[in-house]
Amino acid sequence: MTPPGRVRRRTLLRAAAAGTVAATAGCTGGGRAVQVAVVWSGAELARFREVVAGYDGPVQAISAGNDIDAFLRARHLAGTSPDVAILPRPGLVTEYARRGWLTPLPAPPGYTVPGGMGDLLTDRGQRYGVWVKAAHKSLFWHLPSVLPQPPATWDDLVALTRRLGARARRGDGPAPLAIGAADGWVLTDWFENVLADVAPDAYDALAGPDADWQGRPVRDALDRLAEIWSVDGAFPGGARRALLTQFEESVIQVVHSRRAAMVFEGDFTDDVVHRFQRGPEAPTTFRFPGNRADGGPLIVGGDAAVAFAPSGVDLVAWLTDAAAFRPWLRSGGYLSPSVTVPLASYADPVRRRLAGEMRTAGTLRFDLSDRLPGPFTGTDGVGIWRIMQDFFADVTGGVRAGEAIRRATGQLAAAARSAGGGR
Amino acid sequence: MTRLPVLGEPAVLDDVGPPRRGRAYPAAGATSALVLPAALLLGGLVLWPVLRTMHASVTTGGRWVGAAHFREALAAPGTGAVVGRTLLWALLVPAVVTGLGYLLAASSRRSHEGGLVRLILVVPIALPLVVTGVTFRLMYDPDPSRGLATLVAARLTGRSGDQVPQLLGPRLVTVALMSAFVWAWVGLAVLVFRAALDRLPSSLADAVRAYGGTRRHVLWDAQWRPLLLRTVAVVFALVALGTSRTFDLILVMTPGSVRDEAAVLALRVWQTSGGTTTGEGAALGVIWLAAVAGGMLVAALFVRQAWPPPRPAEPAGPDPGAAPPPRLFRLLAAGAAIAWLVPLAVLVATSLHGPVDAAARGWWSAPPNLASYRDLVTGSELWRALAFTLLLATVVTATVLVVAVLAAYPLAWLTGPAAQVTGLLLMTAVVVPVQVIAGPVNEVLGMVLSSGTARGLALVHMALGVPFAVLVLRNAFADLPADQVRAARLAGRHWWGTLRRLARHSRPAIVAVSVLEFVQVWNDLVVGLLFSGPDAAPLGLFLAGQTRGFVANSGALAAGSVIASVLPVVLVVLARRHLVAGLVSGGVR
Repeated sequence: MTPPGRVRRRTLLRAAAAGTVAATAGCTGGGRAVQVAVVWSGAELARFREVVAGYDGPVQAISAGNDIDAFLRARHLAGTSPDVAILPRPGLVTEYARRGWLTPLPAPPGYTVPGGMGDLLTDRGQRYGVWVKAAHKSLFWHLPSVLPQPPATWDDLVALTRRLGARARRGDGPAPLAIGAADGWVLTDWFENVLADVAPDAYDALAGPDADWQGRPVRDALDRLAEIWSVDGAFPGGARRALLTQFEESVIQVVHSRRAAMVFEGDFTDDVVHRFQRGPEAPTTFRFPGNRADGGPLIVGGDAAVAFAPSGVDLVAWLTDAAAFRPWLRSGGYLSPSVTVPLASYADPVRRRLAGEMRTAGTLRFDLSDRLPGPFTGTDGVGIWRIMQDFFADVTGGVRAGEAIRRATGQLAAAARSAGGGR
Repeated sequence: MTRLPVLGEPAVLDDVGPPRRGRAYPAAGATSALVLPAALLLGGLVLWPVLRTMHASVTTGGRWVGAAHFREALAAPGTGAVVGRTLLWALLVPAVVTGLGYLLAASSRRSHEGGLVRLILVVPIALPLVVTGVTFRLMYDPDPSRGLATLVAARLTGRSGDQVPQLLGPRLVTVALMSAFVWAWVGLAVLVFRAALDRLPSSLADAVRAYGGTRRHVLWDAQWRPLLLRTVAVVFALVALGTSRTFDLILVMTPGSVRDEAAVLALRVWQTSGGTTTGEGAALGVIWLAAVAGGMLVAALFVRQAWPPPRPAEPAGPDPGAAPPPRLFRLLAAGAAIAWLVPLAVLVATSLHGPVDAAARGWWSAPPNLASYRDLVTGSELWRALAFTLLLATVVTATVLVVAVLAAYPLAWLTGPAAQVTGLLLMTAVVVPVQVIAGPVNEVLGMVLSSGTARGLALVHMALGVPFAVLVLRNAFADLPADQVRAARLAGRHWWGTLRRLARHSRPAIVAVSVLEFVQVWNDLVVGLLFSGPDAAPLGLFLAGQTRGFVANSGALAAGSVIASVLPVVLVVLARRHLVAGLVSGGVR
C-alpha cells in the first residue's frame, strides 16, 4: 500500500465513524491515485493497466478476484470502497445504486451502446454506470476440415446433431457437440440464446420483478434445448461425462483432441483456442442459428464501470471515450460496447466482424442470468446454474421432456420467488 | 523421582493434589495481565463474531424473528441430505482412519522397512488439502485417457471408459472425497498409535502370556485396556474434528455440477451467507457450531485421563528382544506404503508435462518435460504468492508463539475447575469453524483496519491459531518436572527470566506449535478465500483459482502443487516426533 493510500484509509475510517463517507472521499481527491477494482487478473489486468496509463492522473488498478461482490461489500463495511469499480453484472449496478453506494454519472457525450444496454445501468431515471467491455455470446466454434458446412437454422443444427450423433455412435466420427456442462453458465448461455430466438419479446420481462418463469416462452425454450440435448450420441463420452466437463475442456475436445465437431460459447473462447490449437488450422465461428437463416439471436454480456465516490467520476467518463481502449483494441481480445468505435480500429478480424454484428443485430439481448436478483443469478451449485444442470441431467438421462420441463420451470419459479423476483 | 532439598521450599507441595496438573506455584497477580493479548485477539475475532452470528440467526435487520431462520434453513431443499452427509463424514471417516491407522502402526513396528513405511504415510499429512484435492482429481479424471483410476477400472471390468462408474460423478463423489481425506490423515493416526504402542510396557504382555494368555488376551489386557482405548478415542476425536476441513477438498475436487451432491454444512453455510453472515446462513452456522462444540465436549469427557501417559523412568527405546510382526502383517504395511505412493507419483508425473500434454492425454503416454514448471517459474504470479505466503506464515507464527507463551505462563498454574474451564473454552475456540463467523469477523476487521488486506488476513490467522498454541504450551508448562520449575523460579529474578527458562525446557512443545502453525497458514485455503483481498493473494488461493478450468490448467496446477508442498513436507517430516506429542496434548487434555 502506498503512503497516500494509507493516509486516505485513515481519513476514510474517521469518515466512516461519522457516517459521511462520500463527503470526505470528495475532499481527499487531490493528487492521489484513483483506485479501480476490477475482476480481471493476469494478462487482462496488465492490458487494463496499459489502458489507464493513458489517463491524465495516477490510477491504481487492483484485481478483486472472481467474487467482486463480496469484495466490494466488505470494503463498503470497512469504509474503504474503491473510487471506481468495473462490475461484470448489471444486476450489481442497480443493487448498489438502490443502496445509495454509487455516485450518479452525467450522460457521456459521443458514447452510444446498442439498443437497450444503456437502460440496464439506470435506476429511477439516474445513470449509475457505463459499459466498458462487451462479450459476444452467440457463437459456435468449429474446425472447417471437420465441419465444412455450418448449419444455417436451428432445424439444420438439430438435423446435423442427429446425423453426426448417429455416426459417432457407430464409432466413425467425432460427436457433434462439446459442452462444458460442469459450468452452469455454459448451460444458461444456451438457454438465453434459444429464449431470445423463440420469444424475443418475453426475454427482458424475465429479469424484472414480475417474471413468469412457468409461462409459455420459458417452456418453449426448454423444449428446444431438450430436443437437441437429448439426441443420442450428441456429446463425446456421453452426457454423464459432459456434466463433469468444464468449459475449457469442451473447447479442447474440439480444437485439440477433435472428439467433437463444434462447441458453443462466446468470443472469449479464442483465449483457450490459442492455447490448445493443434496444427496450422484455426477454428472458425458461425452464429448461433435461429428460426430464420438470416441472423439468429445475439446475446451480449459486458462489464460496466461505476463510481463509488465523486473522485471517480472523471475516470469513468474518460473510460467511455472511444480512444481510451485503443491499446486493448490493438492487442486483440477486446470488444467495445460503444458503436462509435470505428470498425477499422479492431486489429483482430474476428472481433471486427463481431463488433459489426452487434451493430446490425435484429434481436440483441443482454445476458439474462447476469441480471437476475440475488443468488438466483447462479454460481457453482446455486441458482439458475444448478437448475439448468438438473434439467440437462434429466433430459439426457431418459426423463420425458414434458416432465423435465415441468420440474425445471417449477424450480426456476421457486428460485425467482425466494430471490425476491418473479411471481 | 529424586528431589534436591531446596531451602525454604516445602517439597511436600509437589506430592499432593492431581499428579500432573497445576502444581501450586501461584503466578504473581501481575502476570495475569500476560493473558491480555491472547484475550483481545480471541475476544475480538472469535468470541464477539460467534455472538454476532448467534444474534443474526434469530434476527432480521435487528428485529427479533425467533426460530424463523432455523425453520427456513432446515426446510430448504437438500438440507437434510447435507446434515446427513456431514454426520457421515464425522463418523465413518474417523472410524476408517482409526482402524487403518492402528493396523498400519502395529504392522510397521519393529521391522526393517517400518521406518520407511511410516515416512511415506506421513508425507500426505503435510500436503495442503488443496494439493491433495488436485492430486485425487487428476487421478479420478472421468476420461480414461487421462484418469488413472478410470483407466484401471475400465481394464478391470472390461467395459469401455464411458461405461465405468465415475468417481467424480454425482453418485460416488462423496466416496472419492473421503478416500482423499483418508489418504491425507492416516499417517497422523499411525504416528499417534505408534507412540502409544511404544509406551506400552512389554512386561505387561509377558505377564499375560505367563498366565497362559493367548494372542487375543495380550491384545485385550496388555494393550487395549491400559492404553489403546484412550488412544482410539483420541484419534477418533481428532479426525472427526478434522473432517470440518473437507471444505477445501470439496472446493477443489468437485466440478460445479456435482457440488450439491458433495455438499456438507461447511459448504452450505458458505454458499448461503457469502461474505455476510445473516439469516439462514447464520442459523445453519449456529447448528453446526453447536454440533462441533458438543462433539468436542463428549470427546473431552471421554478422554479425561491424560494422554500420552507419563514418561517411563527409563526411555523405553525399541525392545531388542521383541519379534517383528508376522509376515502377512508386514506385507500389509508394505502394500499400504506403495498404495500411498501412487497419488504422489501421479501428481509429480503430471507436473512433468507441458500444459497442452497434461490437458490432452495421460501422463503415461507422453515423454516428460519441464514446460509446466518453466511457465510457472518465469511468470510472476507464483513468486508473488510464494513470497507473500512465506512472509504471512512467518509473521503469524512468530506472533502466535509470543502471544501464546505469554498467555500460557499464568494459565499453567491454575488448578482444579479453573484449569478445566479454561481448557474447555480454549478447545471450543479451536473448533469454531471460520465459515460460521466470516461476516462478523469482516466487520471487526473493517473497524480496526480494513478487510481484504494482508494485515487483516494475518490477524484472522493469529486469532485462529492462538487458542491451540496456548493449550499446547499451557500443558507443556504444567507438565514440567518440579525440579525444573523450581530451578527456573530461583534463577529468574523477574517473571520473564522464569518464563525464558521454562520455555527453554519446553522446547519440544514450542517446536510443535511453531511447525503446526506455520504449516497451517501455509496450507490454508479457506481463510484466504474469506478474508484476502487484492494485495493479499496466498498460495492456496492461487492454486484453487486455477481449478476453475481444471483440465486446461492441470499441468500448471500439478507443478504449482509440487512447488507449494516442498516446504511443509520437509518441516513436518523433520518435526514429526514433536508434532504428535504437541498435537495430542493440545487437542485432548
